Amino acid sequence: MTVSGPRGRLLTTRRGLLGMAGAAGSGLLLPRHATAADQPAWRRPLAESDAVIAFGHTGPITDGGWSMVHDRGVQAVRRAFPRLRTIYVESVPYSADATRIFRQFVAEGAQMVFATSEYGDFIKDVSDRAPDVAFMECDGNNVTGNLGWYYVAHWYASYIIGIAAGLMTRTGKLGFLGSFPIPSVYASANATLLGAQSVNPSITMQAITINAWFDPQAATQAATALADNGCDFLCGIMDEPAYLRVAVQRGLKAAMWNTGMLNYGPEAYVSSVSLDFNDFYVSQVRDLLAGTWQPQGRFLTLGHGVDRDAWGPSVPESVARQADDMRTRILAGYVPFTGPIHDNHGQLRVPAGVTPSDLDIYHSDWAVAGVSGLE
Amino acid sequence: MATRAFQRLPTAPAGRILMLRLVAIILSLFIIACVLALSGHSPLMLAELIIHSTLGSRFGLEDLALFMCPLLLTGAAVTVCGTIGLWNIGAEGQFYAGAIAATGVALGVHGSALTVLPLMTIAGIVGGMAWITVPTLARAYAGVNEIITTLLLNFIASLLTYYLTTGPWRDRISGAQVSTQRISVSIPEMWGIVHWGFPVAIVIVIGLALVLSRTRWGYEIRIGGANPEAARYAGIPVRLRIISVMLLSGGLAGLAGMFEVAGTVHRLQGGMANNFGYLGIVVAVLARGSCLNVIPAALLMALILDSGIVMQTQQLSASVILAITGLILFMIAIGDELAHYRPLARTTPQGTAAGSKVS
Amino acid sequence: MNKPSNPNGRAPGTPPVLQLRGIGKFFPGVIANKDVDLDVWPGEIHALLGENGAGKSTLMNVVTGIYQPEEGEIILDGYGQTFTSPQEAIRAGIGMVHQHFKLVEAFTVAENIHLGWDEAPRIASPAVMEARTQEISERFGFPVRPDARVCDLSAGEQQRVEILRVLARKARLLIMDEPTAVLTPEETRELFRALRAFRAQGNAVIIISHKLDEVMEISDRVSILRGGRKIGTFNTADCNPSMLAATMVGRDIVRRDMRTRPEGAAPIAPEPIMQLRHVSVRDDRGVETLRDVSLDLHGGEILGIAGVAGNGQRELTHVLTGLMARTSGEILLDGALVDRADPALFAAAGVGHIPEDRLRSALAPSLSITANMALREYAQPPIGRHGLYDATAAGALAHDIAGLAQVNIPDFAMPIRNLSGGNQQRLVARREIRIASRVLVAAYPARGLDIGAIATMLGYLTDLRDQGVAVVFISEDLEDLLNVSDRIGVMFHGRLMSVIPAAGADIATIGMLMGGREPADIQAGAAQ
Repeated sequence: MTVSGPRGRLLTTRRGLLGMAGAAGSGLLLPRHATAADQPAWRRPLAESDAVIAFGHTGPITDGGWSMVHDRGVQAVRRAFPRLRTIYVESVPYSADATRIFRQFVAEGAQMVFATSEYGDFIKDVSDRAPDVAFMECDGNNVTGNLGWYYVAHWYASYIIGIAAGLMTRTGKLGFLGSFPIPSVYASANATLLGAQSVNPSITMQAITINAWFDPQAATQAATALADNGCDFLCGIMDEPAYLRVAVQRGLKAAMWNTGMLNYGPEAYVSSVSLDFNDFYVSQVRDLLAGTWQPQGRFLTLGHGVDRDAWGPSVPESVARQADDMRTRILAGYVPFTGPIHDNHGQLRVPAGVTPSDLDIYHSDWAVAGVSGLE
Repeated sequence: MATRAFQRLPTAPAGRILMLRLVAIILSLFIIACVLALSGHSPLMLAELIIHSTLGSRFGLEDLALFMCPLLLTGAAVTVCGTIGLWNIGAEGQFYAGAIAATGVALGVHGSALTVLPLMTIAGIVGGMAWITVPTLARAYAGVNEIITTLLLNFIASLLTYYLTTGPWRDRISGAQVSTQRISVSIPEMWGIVHWGFPVAIVIVIGLALVLSRTRWGYEIRIGGANPEAARYAGIPVRLRIISVMLLSGGLAGLAGMFEVAGTVHRLQGGMANNFGYLGIVVAVLARGSCLNVIPAALLMALILDSGIVMQTQQLSASVILAITGLILFMIAIGDELAHYRPLARTTPQGTAAGSKVS
Repeated sequence: MNKPSNPNGRAPGTPPVLQLRGIGKFFPGVIANKDVDLDVWPGEIHALLGENGAGKSTLMNVVTGIYQPEEGEIILDGYGQTFTSPQEAIRAGIGMVHQHFKLVEAFTVAENIHLGWDEAPRIASPAVMEARTQEISERFGFPVRPDARVCDLSAGEQQRVEILRVLARKARLLIMDEPTAVLTPEETRELFRALRAFRAQGNAVIIISHKLDEVMEISDRVSILRGGRKIGTFNTADCNPSMLAATMVGRDIVRRDMRTRPEGAAPIAPEPIMQLRHVSVRDDRGVETLRDVSLDLHGGEILGIAGVAGNGQRELTHVLTGLMARTSGEILLDGALVDRADPALFAAAGVGHIPEDRLRSALAPSLSITANMALREYAQPPIGRHGLYDATAAGALAHDIAGLAQVNIPDFAMPIRNLSGGNQQRLVARREIRIASRVLVAAYPARGLDIGAIATMLGYLTDLRDQGVAVVFISEDLEDLLNVSDRIGVMFHGRLMSVIPAAGADIATIGMLMGGREPADIQAGAAQ
C-alpha cells in the first residue's frame, strides 16, 4: 500500500477482497468464450455494490501529470458510486506484464477495465478472451465486441496555446518534448506549431523524443538541450513537469500538458493543455451499471474534458485575448486545420480547402513543415 | 586456542540446500505477512488470492508457464556460460538482438508460418549469437572481462530496439507506440495462452543438461570451468570451448527473444525484454549451476513475479513488490550460505593426536 | 645442540632478541615443527634454510603470532611471551614481510604505510602522510616514492614498502620470507645493503631462503630445518654451499638398490624416445628459467632429477609434457621434431604427467571423482565415442583406478576435493601411469606421502621402467633418487649441471652440483 494513496482505500480493499474471495470460490476461469447466443454480461444491469472497476495506469499516480489526472477520475467514480469497488495498478510496463496485469484484473472479478494509456495488443489479447468484461483503452485504436477507446482531442487546446507561443517567442524557435514519435505526439507538435505559425509563419519547432512518458531526468536534459539551441518557448507531452523547471532556470516560457502547473514555476508558466476525465469515467461506469455501455471510440472535446488552463501571470493581456478569441471560435465549431498543410519533407499532406477530421488528426504520423526532430 | 562452533564446508549437500531454502522462503513469507498485516492488509486473504491466481487455477498456471518460457531460456543461457566459469550478464541484450532479428525476418519475409517461423527461429538464435560475438572474442583472445562487455551491450541493444520501433520499423498501421506492426505469424498456442515455445524451452533445457553430462564437449566444458589449468593440462582447447559456450549462451537468450516476439508479444516492442535477461542470472544462481535445476528455479522465479503482479492489483505499489522480491531472494541466498555450515563438535587438541600418530 | 655463538662481541648478559625453546606445532597428520630451538641475537642476520615443507614458514608463523605453538616457549629479550594474534607480535617488535605482499594496490605508498597503524594521525591529508612516509623512508634507508600507487611499482619497490610498513611500527626483528624470489639482481643487492644497515643499528633479521649463494652472502649464521626439526645452527663463515645443500636435503641415506631389474624386465632401449636439444625457456618477464638443456630419455630407464626446488624443474616438466613452449632448441619424439607445445599431442603419444601441484593443475576439485579420473581418457573409447561421453564407462574407469591405487571411495560422485591430499595424489599417479605407455614425467610424486606410500609410489615407477617406459623422476629427496634412478641429473638456475650414473654417485658431488659448482671444478678438486 502506497503511503501517498488516497484515504479510504483500506476499506475498499478489504471489502473488495471479500468479494474477490467469493468470485474465486465460484470458479472463475479464463478464458471463457461467450457463445453467440449468450449476451455479454455488460449488457445486463449491474448492482453498484457488485461492481469492480479496474484501472491500469502507465505511471505512478503521484506523477503530477497524466496518471494523477486519471487517478482524479478514479476518485470521482468513487465519490459518485461509493458502494462499488475500484482497483488500480500503477506503472504498468509496456511488456507482456501488461497482459498479465489486465488478466489479473479479470481474474479478480472486474467487470470494467480501463487502460489509461495505449497498451495495444496487450489489452486486446486479454479483452478477446474475456468477452464478459468491458474494456476501454485511452489513446487506443481498436473497437471490438467489448473493447473501445477514448482520447482527448487535445490539438485544439494545443493550437490555442500555439497562438500564444507564436506571439511570445523572441527567437522564433519553439522547443517540444515528446515521449515517442507516435500520433498523439505528432498531433500535439503539429497543432502547437500551426497555431504559432498562424500569427508568424516563420516560426519553427525543434522536437526531442526521450523514449519515456515519465523520466524527469531525461526530460530535464532534453529541455536544457533545447534551451541551448535557442528555443525560448518549451512545450510538449510529458507526464510530469520537469521541463517547466528548466524554463524557470533559463528564463524561458513554457506551456504544459495534463493539468494546471502554475505552482511549479509561475514566472515561466504560460498555460497547459488541461485534462479532466472525471465526467467521462463517471458516465462510463453509469452506463455499465445500467447495462447500456457500448464499445466505441470517443473523443473528449474542447470544453468537455480538455481545455487550456488559465493563463499564467506573465502572459500579456493582448496575447491572452488573441488566443482566447480563437478558443471562442473553435467552441463555436471552427476547425483551424484547413489545408494546404505540408509536412516537413515538403510533401502536401492536407490539400487546400480540405479539413481533416479528428480521427485523421488522431492518426497523424507526420510532422508539419517547420518541425525538426520528428520524421 | 580459539574454538569455533561451526565449520564451513566447500560443498553443501543438495538436500540441505533445499531444506534451508524452504526455511528461508517460509521465513520471508512470515516477515512479509507481518509487514502487510501492520499496514492494514489481510495476509491470509492475499495468500489465498495469490495461490488462486498462480498455482490454484488454470488461468494462473497459464500465466506461470508463459512467465517461465523466457526465464527457462535466459536461465539456461547464464547457466551454460557459468559451466565454463564465465558470467553472461548480457542475456538481456542478446534477448533483444534475437527479438530484433526474428522480427526483421517476420517483417521482411512473407509466407506461411511453416516457412517463416523456422526462419525466425534461426534469425533469433543467430541474432543472440551475433550480440555476444564481440565479448566472446574479446574474452577468448584478449582476456577482456566478459561481465562488463556483455552488460554494456545490453544498453545498446535496448536503445537499438527503441530506435527501430520508433523509427524505421515503427507501426504505421495502428500507430501503436514504441512498437512494430503486429507480425503475421505466431507460435501456435498449445494450452490457453501458453504457446508451444514453453514445451520447447523445457526440452531445450533438458537437452542441454544431457549435452553437458553426456557429451565429450560437455565434459570438456565442465573441466574448463572447474579448473582451466587442468583443462590445459589435459589438452582441452579451452579458448575454442569458451567461444562455443558463449555463442551457445547468446543463442539461447536470442531464442528467448524470438519466442517472446512470436509467442507472446507478437511485435518488437521497446522494453519487451522485461528484465528477463537479468532475471536469467537470478534463475541461474538459484539453479546453482545445474541445467536441470533451471526448471524449478524458473518456476520459483515465475511464481515470485506472478505473485508480484497479483499483489499490485491489491494496491501494493511496484516498489513494495520489488522490495518483497528482493527480500525472498536475499533470504534464499542466506539459506544457501548457511547450508555450507555444520556444527563442529569440540575436538581433542590436535597436537596430541598427531604427535602420537607419528612418534 | 649448538652453543649460541656471539657474533658481534656484544656485552655479556645481553639476551637474544628472540629465543625459541622446544617449539612444536602439529597439523592433522603432519608434524610441522618439533623440538625447535633457535636464538637470534641483536645485530645479526640469521638465515633459516630448508626445503619446501621443512617447516620454515610454520615456524615463522608461530613467531609472528599467526599460529600458536602446541609445545615450547617463545622468549623475547629474556621474557617469555605468548602471542594470540599478529598484532601482539607487531607490538612486541616482530615484523614479517611475506613472500606475497599484503598491500592495497589501488592505494598510494603513503596510504599503505599508514593503513592500520596506531600512530597514524587521526585526520591526515595526503600531504601529511606523504611527508611522514618520506621521513620514515629516509630514516631507515629504504627509498620509496610516497605518492606513487602501489600497482605502479616494481616488485622490489613494493617490497620496500612492505619493509617500511614493518619498520615504521618499530620492529626490532624483521622476518623476511623468500625476499629475493621476486627481485632482480640489482634489487637484491640494494635489499642486502639496506638489511646490513638495519643490522648495524643493533636490530636482527631472520631471512627464509633456499638459495644457497644468497644465504652465504648475507647471513651471519644459518639454521637448517628438515622435516620440521632443526638440524643445526652454523656460523656462515664456516659453511660452503655444497655442505649446506647436503645438510638441507640429505637425511641419513639408506641406499637400497631398486635399480636391479627383475627377470624379464625390458632392457634400457638404445634409441631414445624423447630428446631435448639445447632447449631454453624464458618466462613472461624475460628471465631464462630453463637454459640450454639437452637430455635423452630411454625406454626402460629412470632418469632422476635432483636440485633445490625452483631451479627449473617446473619448466623442464612442462616442456617434457607439452604444457610450455620452448623459446629455443629442439624436442624430438621418436626422432621426429615436435614443433607444437600441445599437451594433447604429448598425451596421445603416451606421455603421462604427474604434476607437482596436483590439485591446482591436474584435477578439477569441484567435479566428481569419476569426472576427474576420466580426464586423460574421455576422448577415447569406451568413454568417448562419436562425440559422446559415457558416464557409465567413466565410472568403471574411476573404479579401476581407485582399485589399483588402493583408495577406498564411498561415493564416486562426490567432489574430488573431499578426498585427502594423499588419496588425490595416488589417484592422479595411477591415472597418469595408465596412459604413460612411453614416458612418465613424475614431479615430486612422493611429496606428502607417508613412508609406506612412498615405497608404493617408487614401486610404480620401477614397474613402469620394467615395462620399457622412460621415467623422469623429479624429487628433492636424494635417498629416493639414488635408490630408483639409473642416472641422475642435477638442476641449478635452470641449467642441467650434469647427468651422472646413480650407481656410483656420491652425495657430496650431488650436493656441490645443487649448490651451483661447475662439474669441471668438482672433477678438478677430486683430481688434486
